[in-house]
Amino acid sequence: MEKMSGYAFVAAMLSTGLATIAYLAYAISGLRAARMQTAGMPMNTGTLGFVSGRYTPAIGRYATMLGWLATLALLAGLIFRAIATKHGPFANMYEFSLAFAFGVLVTYMVFERRYHQRILALVALPVAAAMMAYASTIPSTIEPLVPALQNNLLLTVHVAVAIVAYGSFAIAFAASLLYLLQGRWALVAGGMLVLGILGAPTGLLLSGGNITGLLGGLLGGGLLGGLLGYAAHWAGLGKSFEGEASGRWGLPKPQVLDEIGYRAVVVGYPFLTLTIILGAVWADTAWGTYWSWDPKETASLVTWLIYGTYLHARVVRGWRGDRAAWLLVLGFVATLFTYFGNLFFGGLHSYSGLG
Amino acid sequence: MVQEAGTPPLETASVPAAGAMDRVDNVLERLWHLLTSMRVAMIIMLLIAVMGVIGSLVIQMPTGVGDDPQARIDWLNGIRPRFSLFAAQTDIMNSLQLFEVFNSFVFRILIALLTVSLIACSLHRIPGLIRTATKPRVDVGAPFFQHAPQHETIVARQTAADAQALVTGVLKRRGYRTLSAEDETIHVYGDRWRWMQFSGLIGHLSLVVIMAGAIIGGVAGYRDQDFSIAEGATRVVGTNEGLSVKLTDFTVTYDQITDSPSDYASSVILMKNGTEIDRHVVRVNDPLRYGDLTFYQASYGSAAQMTIKDAGGKLLTSEGVPFSWQLNDGKRSLGILSVPGTNYTLWVIGTGGNADTRVRPGQVEVQAFNNSGASSNTPIDDKVLDQGKAATVAGMAITFDRESQYTRLTVARDPGVMLVWLGSLLLFVGFALRFMLPHKRVWGRITTRSSGAIVSMATLAQKDAAISTDFEDLVNDIRTALQAPVQA
Repeated sequence: MEKMSGYAFVAAMLSTGLATIAYLAYAISGLRAARMQTAGMPMNTGTLGFVSGRYTPAIGRYATMLGWLATLALLAGLIFRAIATKHGPFANMYEFSLAFAFGVLVTYMVFERRYHQRILALVALPVAAAMMAYASTIPSTIEPLVPALQNNLLLTVHVAVAIVAYGSFAIAFAASLLYLLQGRWALVAGGMLVLGILGAPTGLLLSGGNITGLLGGLLGGGLLGGLLGYAAHWAGLGKSFEGEASGRWGLPKPQVLDEIGYRAVVVGYPFLTLTIILGAVWADTAWGTYWSWDPKETASLVTWLIYGTYLHARVVRGWRGDRAAWLLVLGFVATLFTYFGNLFFGGLHSYSGLG
Repeated sequence: MVQEAGTPPLETASVPAAGAMDRVDNVLERLWHLLTSMRVAMIIMLLIAVMGVIGSLVIQMPTGVGDDPQARIDWLNGIRPRFSLFAAQTDIMNSLQLFEVFNSFVFRILIALLTVSLIACSLHRIPGLIRTATKPRVDVGAPFFQHAPQHETIVARQTAADAQALVTGVLKRRGYRTLSAEDETIHVYGDRWRWMQFSGLIGHLSLVVIMAGAIIGGVAGYRDQDFSIAEGATRVVGTNEGLSVKLTDFTVTYDQITDSPSDYASSVILMKNGTEIDRHVVRVNDPLRYGDLTFYQASYGSAAQMTIKDAGGKLLTSEGVPFSWQLNDGKRSLGILSVPGTNYTLWVIGTGGNADTRVRPGQVEVQAFNNSGASSNTPIDDKVLDQGKAATVAGMAITFDRESQYTRLTVARDPGVMLVWLGSLLLFVGFALRFMLPHKRVWGRITTRSSGAIVSMATLAQKDAAISTDFEDLVNDIRTALQAPVQA
């Protein structure tokens, strides 16, 4: 069973990689079509503002198939793993990272089915692929549960619920980035995106496969990219795209992205709330206190507060749009810290198996 | 804020000079505006989030250290090397309460402000919510049907009354409650989940319940995180209820392959006034509960089994002394025992390992202190004991029998915890219902025209750019119903 789960994970990684390439091809095809339309050629514009060329729909269908394949392979892998370990596949960083990747994949696929926005995959799939790549660098040996984790029901439910929340927030993050790319802060968001994506593997390589390096590279690159973008914006290099009806560069309309971001948070927020509550219930039986300001607890509370602010921002004038989208970016950074927090700060949640 | 900016200055000047009471009213009104403002609430939430970030980045004092001045100084000295960018860094951070963010003055103020704002916002909204649920406005004017975020007009062949019946029929089929009013036109109103607006309110107020629970637990709760008992020893619970706990056995099970601990089990007997009332094996996920008092497995360590007799050979005590402290050298462990029936306190010091030349493995050092003596800080006697050999320390015959183990339990009583769980339940159910069953309202206006009726429908819900909205589906249904062949 352990071997079979390993094979399934390899299959999932491969198909995620292929799916990412297919989605990229889909986006490029759409972008080309958008260019040609700008140049005056007649093109199909969908109801949601996505321009498509001749082969675009076919590439999109293949990408979707590959995406589902990756999701199912990962699900199979997790099930095999659960059978092999006799507990939910959430007990150490290896299992949890794969579960996180599954959460992102499955949430993305569900949102794609509902909203038909394949472009989101350009952010969501790399996030899932990064989690799987990270998982492949850490030991996957099955070890007995430390005493604190020996509560099969709570382990399974607490973490499974967290996975749904994290997956939804990843989708909201993808939508907000694509939203910001089309607005006033295009250069800032673009700089963050490019340097963040380049920074993450660089950090991983430089630190010799250390997650701190990956996160450091991601955040450092993102920050640097944001600053450079801001400098360029300040120097007046970017133009304002505001008030345009359809999306830029073949991207979905900003209003659509705004809506998807909100929907994703509406799904994720109750799940995050439940994760925190179940965590408190468990802490009360295992550690004798429902709340102890452990770094992971604190980080989850910070995440909860940021998304709570976001939900209010949606109904307050002056906070809609850009500011709300930045809150989603901030919320996802907080989500990543909640997820990786125990690796930096130690604390009661440090049974990742990485010491 | 917006209103102030919009008020023309002339108008303000024409208001007669405000009396003292008016000024108070004015201040109170502004305060109320501030407290019920969602923007203010959002800023407070983000500030609390910032505090949370600081609290997880900067090392925090363990619970209890902050209340004990000496422990605080020791702890600060311990971390001083890590915060030495400039000489006074640690002290400045300490006085800014950065090492105790979640007990800090600023944090408490922010939590208090958030609570007040939550309550104020809720109170502010209640009358409106009740009004829309019980007495919604049915007869809205014609302009609404042209300016609402979503609106639609359908021309029908039916008479106005027939059209009204069809529209209400569709609304009812879709689970709406309908109300109608009639003047020169027919007004139709439909709403769904009208009581669910209150679930969001409950979700918000449940946070107040949780905080109340936390405060009650902090004020009226009992907590002993250092309830250490050596094997064979009995220890009195500090709640003054005559309760004591005896540890009969402590076992650590190791995994055979990885050698990491897989189970800690403390077999304990709970006694009240000396009689046994319960037996339990306390494990990490399986505490002992007695009434509202709970005993949790926290940690464990080694202990020294000591036998102490007085000069006449009478047994004073024979018990395990937990090595639950560390000497400042960071190597030798320390157990403290107050000898019953005497004025003496013994420090039992374990070996620092093979490199330790003073206390070798298999030995303990015993330092005796006289509690009532003038110089109770210096030992009156000090000897290194071999295992199994009695020696005389401060006039007592003391034997180090063997090494054993001790368990450390956490004893806790939290009268606020039920409120916390109640609040958590309301929080989750409130928000889940608020998002899953959103309150929906539609208005219809049916006017007669020469050969039939005109049906206008409108809602306040925003148009959804991504998918077709409920309103669009509803209008489609109505259109289908109106266009269906009239049955003969």
